[in-house]
Amino acid sequence: MNEARILLFIAIVFLVLVIYWISITISLIYRNRRTSRLNKIENTFADIVSRYLYNDPVNPITLNEITARLKNVGIRPKNKNNIQFLIRLMIRTQRTILGSNFTKLQQLYTQIPPYGVSIKKISSWSWYRKARGIREIYEMNQSQYFEEIFKYRNDKNIYVRREAQIALVVFLGWESLRFLPYLERNMTLWQQIKIVEKLYDLYPKPELKWLHKAYKTEKLFGKKLLMRIIRKYLLHGEVDYIIDNLNHEDYEVRETAIYCIQTFAVPLSTMAYIKELYDEIPNATQQGQLLTYIFENSDIDLDFYLKQLYSDNDELKLSVAEILWNNGYKEKVQEFYYQQYPNSVLNVG
Amino acid sequence: MWDSAEGFFGSYYLYWISVFLFIGYGASLLTLYLSGILLARRSIKRTKQRSVFLRAEDIVSATDIPSVTVIAPAYNEGLTIVENVKSLLSIQYPYYELILVNDGSKDDSLQKLIDEFDLEKQDATFITQPIPTASVKYIYRSRKKKYTHLTVIDKNNGGKADAINAGVNFATTELVIFTDVDCIIEQDAILKMVRPYLEEDDKEIIGCGGGIGIANDSIIKDGILTELRLPHRLIPMTQVVEYIRSFLLGRMAWSEINGLMLISGAFGMYPRKRVIEVGGFNPKTVGEDLELCIRLRKHMEEKDIPYKIVYLPETLCWTEAPSDYKILILQRDRWARGLWETMSLHKDLLFNKKYRQMGILYYPYWLIFEFGAPIVEFTGIICIIAFTIFGWINWPFAILLFLATYLVGCVFSTIAIFMYIKSFDHYTKPKQIVELLLAAYLEPFIYHPLILFGQIKGYYKKLFDISSGWGNMTRKGFKVTKSQQS
Amino acid sequence: MRKILVIQEDIVILKIIERLVSLNGFDCKAIRSLEALSIEDQQTNFEFIITDILFEGIAPLQFIAQVQEVIPHKNLLIVTNMGQDKIKQEIFALQGITGFYAVPIDLDEIEAIIQAY
Repeated sequence: MNEARILLFIAIVFLVLVIYWISITISLIYRNRRTSRLNKIENTFADIVSRYLYNDPVNPITLNEITARLKNVGIRPKNKNNIQFLIRLMIRTQRTILGSNFTKLQQLYTQIPPYGVSIKKISSWSWYRKARGIREIYEMNQSQYFEEIFKYRNDKNIYVRREAQIALVVFLGWESLRFLPYLERNMTLWQQIKIVEKLYDLYPKPELKWLHKAYKTEKLFGKKLLMRIIRKYLLHGEVDYIIDNLNHEDYEVRETAIYCIQTFAVPLSTMAYIKELYDEIPNATQQGQLLTYIFENSDIDLDFYLKQLYSDNDELKLSVAEILWNNGYKEKVQEFYYQQYPNSVLNVG
Repeated sequence: MWDSAEGFFGSYYLYWISVFLFIGYGASLLTLYLSGILLARRSIKRTKQRSVFLRAEDIVSATDIPSVTVIAPAYNEGLTIVENVKSLLSIQYPYYELILVNDGSKDDSLQKLIDEFDLEKQDATFITQPIPTASVKYIYRSRKKKYTHLTVIDKNNGGKADAINAGVNFATTELVIFTDVDCIIEQDAILKMVRPYLEEDDKEIIGCGGGIGIANDSIIKDGILTELRLPHRLIPMTQVVEYIRSFLLGRMAWSEINGLMLISGAFGMYPRKRVIEVGGFNPKTVGEDLELCIRLRKHMEEKDIPYKIVYLPETLCWTEAPSDYKILILQRDRWARGLWETMSLHKDLLFNKKYRQMGILYYPYWLIFEFGAPIVEFTGIICIIAFTIFGWINWPFAILLFLATYLVGCVFSTIAIFMYIKSFDHYTKPKQIVELLLAAYLEPFIYHPLILFGQIKGYYKKLFDISSGWGNMTRKGFKVTKSQQS
Repeated sequence: MRKILVIQEDIVILKIIERLVSLNGFDCKAIRSLEALSIEDQQTNFEFIITDILFEGIAPLQFIAQVQEVIPHKNLLIVTNMGQDKIKQEIFALQGITGFYAVPIDLDEIEAIIQAY
């Protein structure tokens, strides 16, 4: 390497530096303009939607006025980013509203841009565009594209299949649960949460026959999803499904079962069964959580708590001792701790 | 002079060997940084794309999301403790608890908390201690309904790590966040931090970190950062650039290949279950954040459970950086000792195939390029002095080489600043950007030598077993304004 | 004219509720944060305050406590995205809350309440 080569290298590096300075300047200018554009679109959209939902009989808003105003703030086919922002606003607004206004809003959405943008995204090779397209379709309730979406329910990309599975729930409701045993890939916690929420918001009346069919699933994520559904809908008659999973061999299935059971109060006989299952749980933290549930939902069962106090599980002894101590059995706790040490150590007797 | 030098060192070959070693080291570092930029770019893009499908506003309305406890240890923080707790309480998350651990403060911290939050003393006899800690005296909870999420643990002094461990013992939530009590956490930080846990698929998330920013000279109102400003002084301003580069490029790049070995102690989220399994923080090291992260990774490798540690590019936590050179040197001295202790504690990882990439790649990287960098730099300075004395240096060539290296460094900092302003709107004024760039370009001359000095001082203390604790990191305090209502 | 104060950070929801309130014959003050409240507003006795609980710089429970302290009102309705049962219980524990509505909401319910007033 000689000096000429280093000088060339320096010139190249300096050029790169200059390119980045220019990029920074452009980025700053673009951000400023973009922010003000987005604010305009948001304010206009807010005004349009509010006037459309609560139309003033004296000065009603017309469809022509709506499209003209949207066009004025940059909602045109060539401004794809603006259209994308509008779609986001539309989805955000629709998700906050129920009842007659929801129907009205859907009517409005069918009459204003963007027309058919979402379905075009589905055929994209990019997972990001595809998943976004599916999401927009189910959020905007465009059920005519259901067949297109259905085939992606087992897609290898987690976001594509997640959005497709949520779309199934949005379009089919409880019936979509019949596909649960046949789903091939894992379902994330968020996916489960979203499915339960969509089901609850759009199909508030439970259809138990589909739930019972789904019980066949051996998939761990399926079990967790079903328990979450039972919890959300407060299906007291289905609590046994949760209880049966309290001592499941998988940590997370047990965790979900313990979390879900906390929503329900159970009869004495069932509580006795839960106490039996308690001993079969192989994790002390989870046992502790179930212990809290048992304590909060049943009368003090001295035999049960004493059995735990004298068991080998050191981590839980303090919790059991606390329960007994605060519920009128101080002497039992003292007796237990005294007999741990010989009298000579305690300097008594 | 020539003859005597050759006689002293053995031969002139020493010169060439050292030149090639330094060039080799520099070239490897350059390659790593370049790959880092590409990986970070991909990682940031992917994180942004994923967030479209799971926005904070989706999470805030969801049920069944994991519960989270923020654990903040405090020792003699009486001056600012009330503001700090109010700030931490303003975090928005539906299933959120705050545990403040008073680690045997000698000032009036506890009394101030009792008065301000109307705290009620509760018995601590039956607290389970899966992680052994110094004894807990009492638990305090507020009588006021609006502070229902706050718990104060009053315990005997045991150090920062011990205090956090006491918080972990008491927490009952699935996830725990460790932070410093004087950090300002973005209100939607937890909503963003839980995202990876909600989306975990085939790999368990055992740690999640977020960007940390510097808020010296910014405006803080009621414990909330209301106006972010650049620090007035050069030292903290240069740290803004350093943090941007480190979090946005370094950590995001490692996150992309699941090679993260460090989540900053100032702000990190972990599953409580896993923290307990590994026995919590190690109170015997001053680099407890790095040490915990490595121990967690080892634990998962040993149990053969697929896992992931992730980083979010967004700045979710704001802190006050050392504002003068003395405190800066103290801080870097401590970090260097922490690194030394952790590298030494986990030396069994080195090229150990049992730990797969962690043993083959990540640990050696830390050893050679994080731990080794100050040593190489220091040796380099000695070599330059020695070679100058012996007249072995071709100065025109050396100056050009220095200029080239300097410009490459400037390019890296500029890319980091560009990526930051493109992704986030914290610094949007042209004046701020120009100041940041200038600070970045001055860094090698003013700031970097101080850091090197701090690091070498830390290594020196470890080498000669000179005892030193955390060092007294005096903070200037944020610019605080009170609201009219309060 | 009877007055209603609406506080919502989301401009779309804010505008919708503002229209709903205005068309029902109330004088509506719609703001996106407490900062926008004038001294005069703080002395007005509002028939209703319809507010979110998620605002910059303040915890949800503290926000409600502050609203109750500083703005005279007869009824306080919460309309929020963070509408979990746990939050609802905590908010009602503060006392003086007329209603709590988790998003998604049927605005007809809000309309029925203010019409019946």
